[in-house]
Amino acid sequence: MTVSSTRPPGTAEKVRPPRRSSPARRQNIAGWLFVAPFGLVFLTMLILPLGYAAYLSLFQKALIGGTRFVWFHNYVKAFHDPSFRDGVWFVIRFSLVLIPVQMAISLAMALILDLMVNRLAKFSRLMIFMPYAIPAVIGALMWGFLYSKNFGPLADIFSTFGAHAPDLLSSNLIFWGLFNVVTWQWAGYYMIILFAALQGIDPTLYEAARIDGASQWQIALRIKIPLVAPALLLILVFALIGTLQFFNEPKILQSLAAGAIPEDFTPNMYAYQQAFSLANYNYGSAISFSLGAVVFVCVYIFLFATRKRGSFLR
Amino acid sequence: MATLAGCGGDGNDSASGAGGGGKAANCTNKIQNKDAPVVTMWAWYPNMEKVVDNFNSQHDDVQVCWTNAGAGGDEYDKFQTAVSAGSGAPDVVMLEADRIPTFQVQDALVDLKDLGYEDVKANFSDGAWKDVSVGDGVYGAPVDGGPMGMIYRKDIFDKYQITPPTTWQEYEQAAQKVKDAGGPLFGDFPANQPAYVTALLYQNGAQPFDYSASDGGTIGIDLNSDQVKQVLDYWQGLTSKGLVGKQDQFTPEYISGVIGGDYATYLSAAWAPGYLQGAGVGEGADKGVWATAPMPQWDPGNPVQVNWGGSAFSVTKQADDPKLAAEVAFGVYADDASLKDGWQNQIIFPLNLKVLQDQAFVDYEVPFFSGQQANKEVYVPAANGYQGMTYTPIGQYFYTAFTKQIAAINDGKASGDQAADALQKDVEGYAKEQGFTVE
Amino acid sequence: MSADDAARGSSRNRRPRYLPLQILLGFLVVYFLIPFWWLIINSSKSSVGLFGGGNALWFSDDINYVENIRQLFTYGGGIYGRWLLNSALYAFVGGVGATVLAVLAGYGFAKYRFAGRRLAFAILLGAVMVPTTALVIPTFVLFAKIGLTNTIWAVILPTLLNPFGVYLMHVYARDAVPDELLDAARVDGAGELRTFLRIALPLMRPAIVTVLLLSVVASWNNYFLPLAMLSDNRLFPVTVGIGLWQSTASTYGAAGGQSLWSIIILGSLVSVVPLIIAFLTLQRYWQGGLSIGSLK
Repeated sequence: MTVSSTRPPGTAEKVRPPRRSSPARRQNIAGWLFVAPFGLVFLTMLILPLGYAAYLSLFQKALIGGTRFVWFHNYVKAFHDPSFRDGVWFVIRFSLVLIPVQMAISLAMALILDLMVNRLAKFSRLMIFMPYAIPAVIGALMWGFLYSKNFGPLADIFSTFGAHAPDLLSSNLIFWGLFNVVTWQWAGYYMIILFAALQGIDPTLYEAARIDGASQWQIALRIKIPLVAPALLLILVFALIGTLQFFNEPKILQSLAAGAIPEDFTPNMYAYQQAFSLANYNYGSAISFSLGAVVFVCVYIFLFATRKRGSFLR
Repeated sequence: MATLAGCGGDGNDSASGAGGGGKAANCTNKIQNKDAPVVTMWAWYPNMEKVVDNFNSQHDDVQVCWTNAGAGGDEYDKFQTAVSAGSGAPDVVMLEADRIPTFQVQDALVDLKDLGYEDVKANFSDGAWKDVSVGDGVYGAPVDGGPMGMIYRKDIFDKYQITPPTTWQEYEQAAQKVKDAGGPLFGDFPANQPAYVTALLYQNGAQPFDYSASDGGTIGIDLNSDQVKQVLDYWQGLTSKGLVGKQDQFTPEYISGVIGGDYATYLSAAWAPGYLQGAGVGEGADKGVWATAPMPQWDPGNPVQVNWGGSAFSVTKQADDPKLAAEVAFGVYADDASLKDGWQNQIIFPLNLKVLQDQAFVDYEVPFFSGQQANKEVYVPAANGYQGMTYTPIGQYFYTAFTKQIAAINDGKASGDQAADALQKDVEGYAKEQGFTVE
Repeated sequence: MSADDAARGSSRNRRPRYLPLQILLGFLVVYFLIPFWWLIINSSKSSVGLFGGGNALWFSDDINYVENIRQLFTYGGGIYGRWLLNSALYAFVGGVGATVLAVLAGYGFAKYRFAGRRLAFAILLGAVMVPTTALVIPTFVLFAKIGLTNTIWAVILPTLLNPFGVYLMHVYARDAVPDELLDAARVDGAGELRTFLRIALPLMRPAIVTVLLLSVVASWNNYFLPLAMLSDNRLFPVTVGIGLWQSTASTYGAAGGQSLWSIIILGSLVSVVPLIIAFLTLQRYWQGGLSIGSLK
């Protein structure tokens, strides 16, 4: 996505300039016709619901007294609501810890696998990727069992050292309990993307470096990582968006750890509770939009910090 | 629209005719009389399929199309969304009594007073009717209740030479004794069961809520009374001393703890044996160790009986034919065969007086308790002494808020006293925001 | 990392050199596989075996696979089989539909300069950031108004939306389909659609497989959309169905008389098998395809 500058000219962004006048018209119509089916779904399944949610968020609903128009009161309320603010703070903290670690693990795994060409590497690649194919419901269910103090393997392992196993579903440690589930689920996916990017690098670059006396370590640091930086950036942005919207894993683990994961644990969970448990679609929508604003700001800050802003939307 | 739902296509779908109006055309059960009008129903009793079959085989004029839309909270969320959306609700829905006002205030339930209530009035106690009523209206057909008792492990009690405590003071002493002797935890204080802890509050004479539908805009909230604080402080003491656990209940973790003898007692309701057996308790090494006794009391001279759980069948405003739906609500799970199946397997504790006064029920030697006459000794007296609770439209929010505070107590972040004050503030704020006048 | 000790020299014989890395890799594989191992072992157990205090990572005394499988497919009138079929239907229709739309749109964006293209594409990229969970609430309310909730369309229609898929197809089509080939076809008198089908489509195959696989996975693993949209348990996909069993097993008075945990665990295992098979058999395609959009 950001590599247009390195690509040989001719294949890139340059969409063919129209040569005759009738093809230009043809371009117009055909182009829209190709895009139209998706455009229709896009309008009805994305723009319309978003617009409707924006509309809903301007009303206030109470069990007694019904619904009334309140302008932006729900947004003011959301940003003063400790439940929402604590939730936002949690997902930001979680992102700040999770994403760097997850990226480091994924990148390290990709580099190792890129280095090794044998059966073990091939097998490992597939196995590490496998959790991606597992529904979050089932992933959380499995880890919930594995965390068990009573019958999980953690208990066995720790008791051989005479220690008590940590309770990863307790309020104090739920952060790490979730951290592990998410890392397990997604690290392989990110690894595969980075691995594919590494495989796309021209091997003659390595040869040249080796002739210059570079070690594998130096090759990784000086050649490989810079060349996969665009892929790294892409997955960082996706990881950031996904983590700020954190929902599935905590919502599912909640059935095992209601005390540690309250209904307003993350902003998205809070929105869901307001909408579906308390029948307050209006406030739920306002929370969703407020969260959207937070996501936008965070992504923008991130892109600014990495000086790649605009490249996403080139 | 209704036709789209039947896409999976199977034989049962033909019964959809009378359900009509976009209702789910799929039934989990078999419709026996295909010409009769159909009433749709959500319920999660474990023997529901049998119960519905019993009903359908005995009725030519109406058939029940039943589905399990989820148990407890899952079902309420679905019903809530259907109510908000104005469509998608079944004709008859299973609700725990404490949820009825939440839906009643949204005008989602039908008053059954003139729809057959008089015919079955004598089958249930006044307390049972009170729990399903809001103001003067009756919004549910009572089915089962949850009179509470103290389930305990005889093996642990024998080993540490204790007898079932009758007061909360004795409960703590026994817990301390077991702990000092290196024994297991004595009980559990679960954050995910606010309804259970609420029952404990009532047991100390607390009256956390005051609400009646005729005065629908006013709600009394008294969650930081001395009685509430005493109970929460008591449990905070037990958890902080390590006498009881802090484990969420109905989780695999808790079940395995129960099986493994991690808890000497399990304060629970009459339906608990059915649940425990279903989860594999009492089948392995812990076979034959279970017994039950009355709940410990604050004031043994003045015992208070409490209730945890128990459900009713309510007729929704979206029902096409409320009268027919009411016939189902009152008729399902009211026949002898179904009731017997329910109580013999300890799945439900029926509120139907036919059963409660049946000697076979009272004297039943419960296999899970190794033949102990649990109904006679514990649950029937508890049910008879139960005075009812006051439920409000903000019950859903109250439970969420309470869960947070119980967790705070368990994490050592709040004393019982502080938790009660925080809870009062939180729930009061929500009630005001929802337009109620708070007293 | 121990890369530097392995790095000296230019010998191509790598095997012995990376021993520490190989060991590290072995540990990683164990970590990633433990939950699967747990699932396979524990789906053999009865509830007594599950909770009775035996080793969580090894078989208990009685191996109950046959009985559990029988229960899994007969409980609740065999509803589990139906859930599997529902999942397959949603994943197939939703996945294929989303892919078709993404291929068409990606190609359109890449190969035609039409009025409003830049703006439309910018909006599309913005939409990549909109999470699907945020859309569930308003979509539910809208669907409820037109009576679509609790139908299969309530699940299928929203899954057709895959902006990221369009983005991937766009990038791939832009780079992998040479304009010269398209022009040549046009000069030969082929229409736009024919040009697309004959020339572009075959060239885009790796990306199509990737997007298809991603869409199918997203749809198969979808949980909260169907959870919110469906109330009739006969329409549930398998994820929501297992969630239903889990909540039933965790609700008092709901699971009496029958242990659900064994079939929950076995049901989880059975439900992940199809996707694992799909990934293993199609790995040749998706492994390359996943790098689209990042580096090409």
